[in-house]
Amino acid sequence: MRFNIIGYFCKEGFRNTLKNKKSTSASLIVMCFTMLIFGVFFMIGENINNVMEQIESAQGIQVFINTDVSDEEVTQIGIDLKEISGINTITYVSKEDALNQMKEKFKDRQDLLTGLEENNIFPASYVVTLTDLNESSKVQDEIKNVVGDRLKKLTSKDETVSALIRIANGIRIVTGVILAFLIIISVVIISNTIKLTVHARRKEISIMKYVGATNSFIRWPFIIEGIIIGIIAGIASILIVAIIYNIISQKIVASPVISSMNISLLSFGQMFNLIVIVYLLLGVGIGIIGSSISMRKYLEV
Amino acid sequence: MIEFRNVNKTYNTGTEAVKNANFRIEKGEFAFLIGASGSGKSTLIKLILKEEEPSSGSIIINGKDTTFLKQNRVPYLRRSMGVVFQDFRLLPDKTVYENVAFAMYIVKATPKHIRRQVPMVLSLVGLSEKSKMYPNELSGGEQQRVALARALVNNPSMIIADEPTGNLDPDTAWEIMNLLNDINLRGTTVVVATHAKDIVDKMNKRVITIKDGNIIRDEKGGYDSEI
Ligand SMILES: Nc1ncnc2c1ncn2[C@@H]1O[C@H](COP(=O)(O)OP(=O)(O)O)[C@@H](O)[C@H]1O
Ligand SMILES: [Mg+2]
Repeated sequence: MRFNIIGYFCKEGFRNTLKNKKSTSASLIVMCFTMLIFGVFFMIGENINNVMEQIESAQGIQVFINTDVSDEEVTQIGIDLKEISGINTITYVSKEDALNQMKEKFKDRQDLLTGLEENNIFPASYVVTLTDLNESSKVQDEIKNVVGDRLKKLTSKDETVSALIRIANGIRIVTGVILAFLIIISVVIISNTIKLTVHARRKEISIMKYVGATNSFIRWPFIIEGIIIGIIAGIASILIVAIIYNIISQKIVASPVISSMNISLLSFGQMFNLIVIVYLLLGVGIGIIGSSISMRKYLEV
Repeated sequence: MIEFRNVNKTYNTGTEAVKNANFRIEKGEFAFLIGASGSGKSTLIKLILKEEEPSSGSIIINGKDTTFLKQNRVPYLRRSMGVVFQDFRLLPDKTVYENVAFAMYIVKATPKHIRRQVPMVLSLVGLSEKSKMYPNELSGGEQQRVALARALVNNPSMIIADEPTGNLDPDTAWEIMNLLNDINLRGTTVVVATHAKDIVDKMNKRVITIKDGNIIRDEKGGYDSEI
């Protein structure tokens, strides 16, 4: 019995959608536009986050310890560093490791390094990676605190990272503002579309009211109309975004600057689930809100 | 059972459409509501349907005061009444069968119940043969029968009709009135607002006469010549 009613609602919803082809298309275009714009910013944001992670994991904060600090104390510093929140991994680089790295780096000029075996001037260090790049300066302060005057120096990719953080935050704000604006426009357009169907079917609605239909019963076909438009717009947008993204990301990765930086972009597949969820929520949400707004006037019989 | 107690209705425009109405229509009764155009018949019917709220007084339907009925309970009140209008109000893109079944969908009847009930009321109004036709393929009288079938299909305890014969020729009007009488004989309360003087005169039912919003006469018999 319930199945039958749901079938009735869906049938009516589809009928509504097909009846006003012009305004349904207008809603579809506006919703696709909203979703595409949102998709572009969303994917740029996701990629910047991803690049930040790559940079961070390739190059963490390096904490150099003064050479006059004893081995036991260096070990103790390692233990203390583990206590700092926001640190993901800690790798110890001993004086010998540091020397070996140098030897590796200057393979052709071993003469520069002679005598260093006996008198190793390279400091031991800890390479620290972070759980959240936004915490970088806070964690650095903590590290300075913990290591105190035993700290020789501290290096990080701060400038690159903080520039990226600024860009990422900027994009988030811009996305938010644009999205809010586009959502409002979409809601208005879709509610106008549904208003047309509601108006075209006002006679039917009034008959339904006289026969004793509840408001929710009357509302459902129109909500489903909104949902159908939302879902079609969502699916169309996903297809368009996927095609465009694949073309553009290949171009970007192939460009000399990016390939020299050895940065990889996310594949569309990696963002697919999230985008599907976001698009369907957007589509269904806008559809429901738009149709509810358009129904208000007509339910007061 | 319909009872009006000191009911007044003044529209926002200032029109006093119903003034201090007091009457009581018993279960199973057949009552005509007559009066000139603009006298307040439709307003009275809208008050029964709770399509309009009384400005003062109370309206009791089937033992329940509907004055303070919550808006979301109104659909359930309406399920106890079948409504018929002068302009039939059928859905043009649905067949006769679908128009009647529609009223059952709305009250969430089971498909099985719908399949049994719809042919039954269609045969009651004499339209079994035309169930697959569309409203524009039917005569006015037949369309009004469909509307009547739709009003009856959920077994309401009363039928409320606002000038159901207003658009019909006299012979067809008689058919509809006789049908309403048959329905009444089966136990359903029937209230009919009408202009049809000779029908009212001949049917010898209770007649409530309204003039400029006042109920001026309420007795069994014919149309009063004074209105
Ligand atoms: N919705 C309304 N708003 C304002 N005035 C109304 C409204 N409906 C009816 N009226 C007025 O109330 C009076 C009674 O109308 P109505 O009940 O329709 O009479 P009848 O059905 O007997 O012709 C008329 O003067 C009419 O103009
Ligand atoms: Mg009237």
